[in-house]
Amino acid sequence: MNGVINFLELAIPGMVAFVLAAQGTMLGGRAGVFNVSQEGLMALGASVGFLVSYKLGGTFGTNMIGLAVAAAAAAAMGLILAYTTTILRLDQFVVGLALFFAGIGLASLLYRVVIGIVPQPPQIDTLDTIPIPLLSEIPLLGPTLFDQDIVVYFMFLLSGLLYWVLYRTNLGMKMRSVGENPRAADAAGISVTKVRFWATALGAALMGMGGAYLPMHFSGIYTDGIIAGRGWLAIALAFVGGWRPQYVLLGAAFFACMEITALELQSSTVIPVEFIETFPYVAALVVMAFIFRRTQVPAFLGRNYDRESRTAS
Amino acid sequence: MTVREVASPTRPVTPPQTPETSVGKRPAWLETLGRWGAQAVPVVAAVAAALLVSALMIAAMGHDVVTAFDSLLTASFDTQFGFVATLHRWVPLTLFALAFTIPLIAGRYNIGSEGQMLVGAAAAAGVGISGSGLPAPVLLPLVLLAGILAGLVWAGIAAWLLDQFGVNEILSTVLLNFVSFGVVLYTAQHLWPDPVGGFPMTDHVAPAAQLPMLGSSPQFHSGVLLVLAVSILVILAIRYTVIGYELRSVGANPRAALIHGVSVRSVAIGALVVGGALAGLAGSIEVAGVQGRLLEGMQSNYLQLGIIIGLIARGSVVAVPLVAFGISVLEIGASAMQRSAEVPVQMVLIVEALILIFILIADILADRITRRRAARAAVVQKLKESSA
Repeated sequence: MNGVINFLELAIPGMVAFVLAAQGTMLGGRAGVFNVSQEGLMALGASVGFLVSYKLGGTFGTNMIGLAVAAAAAAAMGLILAYTTTILRLDQFVVGLALFFAGIGLASLLYRVVIGIVPQPPQIDTLDTIPIPLLSEIPLLGPTLFDQDIVVYFMFLLSGLLYWVLYRTNLGMKMRSVGENPRAADAAGISVTKVRFWATALGAALMGMGGAYLPMHFSGIYTDGIIAGRGWLAIALAFVGGWRPQYVLLGAAFFACMEITALELQSSTVIPVEFIETFPYVAALVVMAFIFRRTQVPAFLGRNYDRESRTAS
Repeated sequence: MTVREVASPTRPVTPPQTPETSVGKRPAWLETLGRWGAQAVPVVAAVAAALLVSALMIAAMGHDVVTAFDSLLTASFDTQFGFVATLHRWVPLTLFALAFTIPLIAGRYNIGSEGQMLVGAAAAAGVGISGSGLPAPVLLPLVLLAGILAGLVWAGIAAWLLDQFGVNEILSTVLLNFVSFGVVLYTAQHLWPDPVGGFPMTDHVAPAAQLPMLGSSPQFHSGVLLVLAVSILVILAIRYTVIGYELRSVGANPRAALIHGVSVRSVAIGALVVGGALAGLAGSIEVAGVQGRLLEGMQSNYLQLGIIIGLIARGSVVAVPLVAFGISVLEIGASAMQRSAEVPVQMVLIVEALILIFILIADILADRITRRRAARAAVVQKLKESSA
């Protein structure tokens, strides 16, 4: 019992980076913009969030400012993606890859410029858990769900909010229609460009925030390569979740469990530790092989809409 | 229309067609030269713009721009060591860029050249160590072949997932990179560990497994010539063979290619697998020519650079080796820049990303100018007809 609680206590914060980045991917994707720069935007978010927080004092309050600035920085990159793909109609994968490099490069450069080369890496406070009164007393559910840090609560609220907006509001229906059939949406008076701009920028902001959470949760230290493929796994997660916020949340639980299992198994002697570390990636590949043909994908995902084009799609 | 059809990097920039000049009696070679010139102008302008923005950034960080740029652009040509270092960097970059470009021509994205190179390097190191009794003419080809085969298999996994299960190849190739790190560590720490090294790396490969060195001090390894030959072969194969034609047709319009009897599935698989083989070759050349062993982190940032080169070359295999050389110059110059002007070496990635972004923008502008000229020519034509 205690083992299960310990495992879930670790796994649920482990979901945060996956959920935020994958919901961001989902958001842009439902409007038809397939962002592939997660890995770069998350690195940028981690670097910017860490640096802002560190320079302001490295406490809980400055961590919150860091998260916000990281989201803003990533959103700015998202706007570049939105502009180049909707107005200039450049290929989404090409721009996404370019932003991936730019994000990784900027993250590393900013850290070097602000911190320089130091013998001991600077550290910020990690986020404290905030137990919710009464609810945190519930056995099993209490310590795992209601005794976590603030970003974990935000993750659950955000997923619920996204579900509500997408499926219960007019705005959400407009957004989904842009991703499914932009021509029809355009004819119905919805501005495809505007919807794509907002969805892409907000989605990128979530990715930046997901990246910024990593140094604030794990060690309080930023290092290059801190994202370690979580950005790419987030794309896989968006597919696994069928581009639906509720299933993305569930899928993230699976991905986080894989990550924590890999950590827990490192002391085992049966499987070499080198291969245990590859566990999350292999699991993602296997899962994708099973779901890829069955999963539902926005019909216009990854394709630019040209209102003056004469072909049917 | 599918995602693949709108892939712009494979679309060549159509030269501005001015009806007046094409009617004129200019010799053919001048026409060709003019067409090349028209293609070069946006590239040169984009590089200049990227360097200008980088200069502003360097100045903003408080460094000496002139010293920085002097090191960045000339370090490769100032000394012979610099030039050899540039050539040795050119080898993997060209192979990585080809590993990205060949699938791109067919509309597929190979983001896994890093993993393909690493398993190639692991296989090459394994053969090079365990075959230490064999003579060089036998062992060296085996080492190179081991790398090629390993890279081929690694890309083959992604190709199989794509073909059988429809798994997006961007995701499968990139996730296999992270799996390959495990392969490297296992090979370097358990199979053939270096007995003294505290860092994850294998023992040295046998001398017979190493590429012969050429030239006088400083020497360069013969992998340079090998890659030159490979580049020429790839160019010839893509331009002048049926397979190359099918590859290009699938990228240009998969539906039309399918209707005309091209097996779109096998072309996609083949392109990914050949890309993987080239990345695997890069791994074995790094082992046999540069490092003499497998070591963790030997892939450096070649993956990103290969993709940047491939995108700057816009899917042209002829442009790949040239662009790769330019990027190698920048890469070698970057560390000189750090020494002379104290600009962090990470700055070079920004310079390269800027070049790419400006080239993409130049593409759009060139396209718009072409369209506007065509529209204007049409109006002129109509006016002429109505007045006649």
